[in-house]
Amino acid sequence: MQGGEQDQLVDWLARSARGDRAAFQALYRATSAKLFGTILRILGDRDLSRDVTQETYVKIWHNAARYDPAKSSPITWMAAIARNRALDEARRRQPPAADIDDVELEVPGDNPDPLAARARREELRRLIACLDGLDAERRQAVLLAYCHGLSREALAQRFARPVGTIKVWLHRSLAQLRECLGS
Amino acid sequence: MSERDDIERLAGEYVLGTLDLAERRAVAARRAREPALDNAIAAWERRLSPLGEAAPEVAPPEDLWAEIERALDAPAGAGAPVVDLTRHLRRWKLAAFASGAIAASLALFVAGERVLRPTEPQSFVAVLQKDAASPAFIVSVDLATRNLTVRAVSAERPADRSYELWLVNDRYDAPRSLGLVEDEGFTQTAALAAYPREVVQSSVLAVSLEPRGGSTTGRPSGPVLFTGRLVQATP
Repeated sequence: MQGGEQDQLVDWLARSARGDRAAFQALYRATSAKLFGTILRILGDRDLSRDVTQETYVKIWHNAARYDPAKSSPITWMAAIARNRALDEARRRQPPAADIDDVELEVPGDNPDPLAARARREELRRLIACLDGLDAERRQAVLLAYCHGLSREALAQRFARPVGTIKVWLHRSLAQLRECLGS
Repeated sequence: MSERDDIERLAGEYVLGTLDLAERRAVAARRAREPALDNAIAAWERRLSPLGEAAPEVAPPEDLWAEIERALDAPAGAGAPVVDLTRHLRRWKLAAFASGAIAASLALFVAGERVLRPTEPQSFVAVLQKDAASPAFIVSVDLATRNLTVRAVSAERPADRSYELWLVNDRYDAPRSLGLVEDEGFTQTAALAAYPREVVQSSVLAVSLEPRGGSTTGRPSGPVLFTGRLVQATP
């Protein structure tokens, strides 16, 4: 996302917080494919994802005043709301079928975006470098959990390990990532 | 393990998404009053957010924006149940086969040995349930008289609340109340007299849990616990 685009999202969110429906619609047009894609990746079901996307935008509208540009980018804030709703829904249901492919991560190639996009690419590159520091199975467990919402039980099944082992993997992986990313 | 490590671990797993539902709810409640936890969650969201960049963009359904606007226009407090009911309505349309089968077997039982061949079907039933395994109410409707009878099967109601029955139909913006229902024995009502035959035939019925005496807003204000579609009970 370009710097200009990001400022635009911040502005739309601020106007939404003041009840500006047109600004909110513009925000929806600019972000709904990203959020719907994020939710669909976790839930897998289009109808369910549609409902969760609706609830997500209703929540964004009501909470827009709480968005703090100093704390996170608009898309990070909105995606967190979307992921939280999708994960709540996923946990409410049976674990998803174990037929999800492994997650392949690629840094998007060069496109005409200037500085901001490069910064995002840099962040992704750094994160991938840190993920690469994890053992292959543990890296895959982290990615499957984050991207596809796999529960500990689903991960245990997939990697044929006890749930307790998965818990230990996740805790150690998170600690290692935090150290690697430095903060 | 220090308290700080504990918070880090909890925040990390919350953002990663691997906590179970009870743990997720506990964290969501705690973060509202624990800034340290809230900040740790925000930091994890930032750390992992580049992975979100890798999520494919998928265009949502065309009419979703209109649905969101309707939800925003709903009066405060009524939003969630209305969303819920819209969802149930769509689910029921999708699950027509499954629920039809359950209701059909029940209808067979209700109709028994009687052979009735009216020119137009007169009897309808609906099984209101949370899921296929647990019917809570059975509703039968005589279209000729518009009499509606609710029979409680296995509903357990908190003492200070009431169950309220609603009619949900695409034709109306909001669910219409059909009155309170008892959680034991039978409840009869003539509330359907106000609705045309084709509406009754194409509606979903829903039961919500309301303050004692029923919703004061004219719409479901509590959780919608049971839903079901009316199907023809006699040939």
